Amino acid sequence: MIRFILVQNRQGKTRVAKWYVPYTDDEKTRLKGEVHRLVATRDQRHQSNFVEFQNHKVVYRRYAGLFFCFCVDANDNELAYLEGIHFFVEVLDAFFGNVCELDLVFNFYKVYAIIDEVFLAGEIQETSKAVVMTRLDHLDKLE
Amino acid sequence: MSMRGLTVFIADLRKCRIHELEEKRINKEMANIRAQFKRYQKKKYVCKLLYMYILGWDIDFGHAEAVSLISSDKFSEKQMGYLAITLLLTENSELIRLVINSLRKDLDSQNELFNCLALHAIANTGGREMAETLAREVQKLLISPMSKGFVKKKAALCLLRLFRKHSDVLPAVEWAERILPIMDDPDVGVVTSAASLITALAQQYPQQYAMCVPKAIRKLQWLVMESNFPSDYIYYKVPAPWLQVKLLRLLQYYPIPDDEALRQRILDILHCIIQNSREIPRNVQHANALHAILFETINLVIHFGCEPDLLAQAAALLGRFIASKETNVRYLGLETMAHLAGALDNPEPIRRHQELILASLRDRDVSVRRRGLDLLYSMCDVSNSRAIVRELLRYLPMADFALREEMVLKIAILTEKFATEYQWYVDTIIKLLSTAGDQVGEEIWHRLIQIVLGNEGLQEYAARVVLSGLRAPHCPENALKVGAYVLGEFGHLIANEPGCSPMDQFKSLHARFSTAPLATKVMLLTTYLKFVNLFPEIKEPCLRVFERYRYALDVELQQRACEYYHIVNRDTDELLQTVCEEMPPYPARESSLVSRLQRQYLDTEDKRTWVVGGKEANLELKSQDAHSAQAHALAAGTAITNATLAAAAQASAPGPARTAEVNLLNLDEDLSHLNPGEGGSVTGPDGAPEPVRGAGHVKLLTAGQGVLYEDDTIQLGVKSEYHGYQGRLVIYTGNQTGDVLTSFAITVHGVPHVKATTVQAAPTLIQPFAQAPYLVNLECHGAFDVPPHIHVTFGKGGTSGSTAAPVSLHIQLPVSIAKFIEPFSMAATDFFQRWRQLSVNKRESQAVFSAREPFQPEPVRALLRSTGLALLTDADPNPNNFVGVGILVTTSEKVGCLLRLEPSKEHQMYRITVRTTNENFSEILRHHVEDMVNQIEG
Repeated sequence: MIRFILVQNRQGKTRVAKWYVPYTDDEKTRLKGEVHRLVATRDQRHQSNFVEFQNHKVVYRRYAGLFFCFCVDANDNELAYLEGIHFFVEVLDAFFGNVCELDLVFNFYKVYAIIDEVFLAGEIQETSKAVVMTRLDHLDKLE
Repeated sequence: MSMRGLTVFIADLRKCRIHELEEKRINKEMANIRAQFKRYQKKKYVCKLLYMYILGWDIDFGHAEAVSLISSDKFSEKQMGYLAITLLLTENSELIRLVINSLRKDLDSQNELFNCLALHAIANTGGREMAETLAREVQKLLISPMSKGFVKKKAALCLLRLFRKHSDVLPAVEWAERILPIMDDPDVGVVTSAASLITALAQQYPQQYAMCVPKAIRKLQWLVMESNFPSDYIYYKVPAPWLQVKLLRLLQYYPIPDDEALRQRILDILHCIIQNSREIPRNVQHANALHAILFETINLVIHFGCEPDLLAQAAALLGRFIASKETNVRYLGLETMAHLAGALDNPEPIRRHQELILASLRDRDVSVRRRGLDLLYSMCDVSNSRAIVRELLRYLPMADFALREEMVLKIAILTEKFATEYQWYVDTIIKLLSTAGDQVGEEIWHRLIQIVLGNEGLQEYAARVVLSGLRAPHCPENALKVGAYVLGEFGHLIANEPGCSPMDQFKSLHARFSTAPLATKVMLLTTYLKFVNLFPEIKEPCLRVFERYRYALDVELQQRACEYYHIVNRDTDELLQTVCEEMPPYPARESSLVSRLQRQYLDTEDKRTWVVGGKEANLELKSQDAHSAQAHALAAGTAITNATLAAAAQASAPGPARTAEVNLLNLDEDLSHLNPGEGGSVTGPDGAPEPVRGAGHVKLLTAGQGVLYEDDTIQLGVKSEYHGYQGRLVIYTGNQTGDVLTSFAITVHGVPHVKATTVQAAPTLIQPFAQAPYLVNLECHGAFDVPPHIHVTFGKGGTSGSTAAPVSLHIQLPVSIAKFIEPFSMAATDFFQRWRQLSVNKRESQAVFSAREPFQPEPVRALLRSTGLALLTDADPNPNNFVGVGILVTTSEKVGCLLRLEPSKEHQMYRITVRTTNENFSEILRHHVEDMVNQIEG
């Protein structure tokens, strides 16, 4: 199960945070800092996309200046979540049209709506880009 | 409505380069919002507040506006309202209660968009209250033929969340028939979500959800071997990789199907997947998707474990993966090979790669190094342990800090497990202590001491090794502690060797005294006291140290120094000798090192199907699973028919087939027979006489120690300790006669749901007027009302030669369900809220009974406390009533227990009510407390 999703830039500013486990505000702040320090210092070329984090593990991938990090259970399938990240990024890209960091800042409330169409309760919900995009376009037009 | 104001606001904040400016802008906006929180701007203002919240500012208003947005008819307003509560509130917030009605309304709505928004909100915040009040509505949406695909998949995941958090409030067993068919839905998205839900349900109720196996196999066949797959779900040429992974994982919670056709079909599918991935494409996404499926397939092959051909292919693939240039693939190869190591009988396919695996300890990526360590730990056995431990020790000083502690732990476990010679064990651990220095946890040197104390042959050698360790230029704290302890106990064994005289030993230790941390100094003082006892010739220097530290500033140090000083300065050595008597060996117990490692592994939402740690650890995991599956099957017993349970018992029962007409009660016993590993022995129908209660039984139910049984010949005293689902009893047998008791034996007999294991057997002879201990461990697996018992046998008069008939006693142990309760305190106001929530579904057990003695509050209060419940004062409006709260811990679950006892002074009556989260416990607990109240003496 995904415990949380973090999208952070290279300076460690968190652009998206989605929590599937009830952490307190203090814990959330701490986790954001720890995950950034853990992931940003890793060698992108020669190191894997997985790193142990407390009793769980972080599956992450860097897109331009943004790190997409999923904290998942130790016995979860790493590659399925790694491709889950890519699928999510493709959806963001299709929705915003060549997505960039600022899209996520100015449309943060839309990003949450997109996450809820792709993942729910810490599990992947929909894996067809066509299905998700049709749905998002429909919702976006509603008053 | 335009969100332009929001964009401007965000842009403004982004321009603020320093914190003070941002604060100013925030305050201005907050004032603005406060002043104008009008209806038509509400959505935008709430959105602005959310942005401030995300930036980390405290939001102390706007919650009510957010809640009011939820009841709007406009989709975008409702959406913003729900977003606000999922961001601002957690499942424990009081405000959540305000939205439950809106949620129900939106779940009932004809508008599927509203259904979806409500489902999102529940899936994001759903706590206990939502589980209790809304789970049925969610389930209706999931199974209704009217629901659209979107609603179904969200409802499935929503239920998953509620089930994971509060499985006890969902009638998951009843729902099996309706939920399972969703796996046949034509919509791949719905099946993906349903597969996640059913995976969770099947772990807890494997029997009831067993039909998911043929369904999963059918779906996999469609995905892997047929070509009519909807193109929307093809991800980089791979059909629905996520669904394939989920289905392959689901099958790992079941054994390979017995049905021949089904079995053949799944094997064909596995073959096919392995064949399909011969060529790994260059496109990263395509390759990852294929590998995700392939690794899950290999895990399933290992789990089935019965197909040598497939296993060989899997082993060969893994051998290739661990040599891959791709770091991700190397990582996964090592991880999966550790799974293989826990399943293979013949380690050859893994051992072949030992050099490569050892080399992975030097990989560039710490994640890979960690997997390498796990694999080495799993593949280690008697034949290769020396090589592996040597390599690990060599690598230890270079290992990163993050990894070092775990390495130390694993080296210590392996060394203990596979040591064939004591010397090697001691050498390795001492080396470990000196190399790793402060990364060594306390447990490791404690364990070393335990083992040295327990093995006489080892003590002299250990003393020699620690002494030379103390003389090394660098001696870490833990090595010093071991030195202090071992020399204090066994220094005399080497005192005659050159360079090891008492004075030499003292000097070696004392050279490090001044720089040692406080805790170690304290230990050293104790060692010096032991020295005075062992070697009177060095009394003087030791005494000087005591004298000096009598004035130490630290209280602990000062007190010890004073006490030791006086003990040594007494006229006779009697007290000194008593105090310094040799330490008895520790009772053999499970190493705390292993359990520490396990705790870390088991923190996952879906149960692990395997663990790092080789064959033994995996066998243990399986037996634990069998236990909890059994407990769940029993807990679900009320909902399923006797026949299915009986059939289940029959199918898996060894030995002669049982008749199908067993009733539920007998079945309880039958199930306990299914597990031959349980306990020292299980009460069987062996015609043994009924065990009796000892005279001290009732008293001991509330006290920790006392006399259980006494007659002219023997006395049985009991001392007990409980922690969580575990209990330990020491039974002291005192011989009251002038004769030796011969052929003395005690065996313990567990009962269904209480596992009893002998930890230390009683000696076969007990000398006249002497005492002997006997140790038992208990484990609570579920509700029980009959306690375990012991069977004591012995003969009398071994010395005089006149042998009387042997004595045989069956005595109940003073163990009740209440012993496994831990107090739990809650706010007085919460009590009745929880109380009301537990009023449904037969979770209550109530009785009215008349008291033997007039009501006195104090003894009753003391009694209830002794049951482990936390008593709440001020919770009950009537001050004469008692209310208590506790958590009953079993190996498989934690059961919340609420108790209310209402005395009536005039009628000399009581009304007792017990409500628990698991109905099996309510009545037993109520009976027990009622009994105890009746036993109170005036």
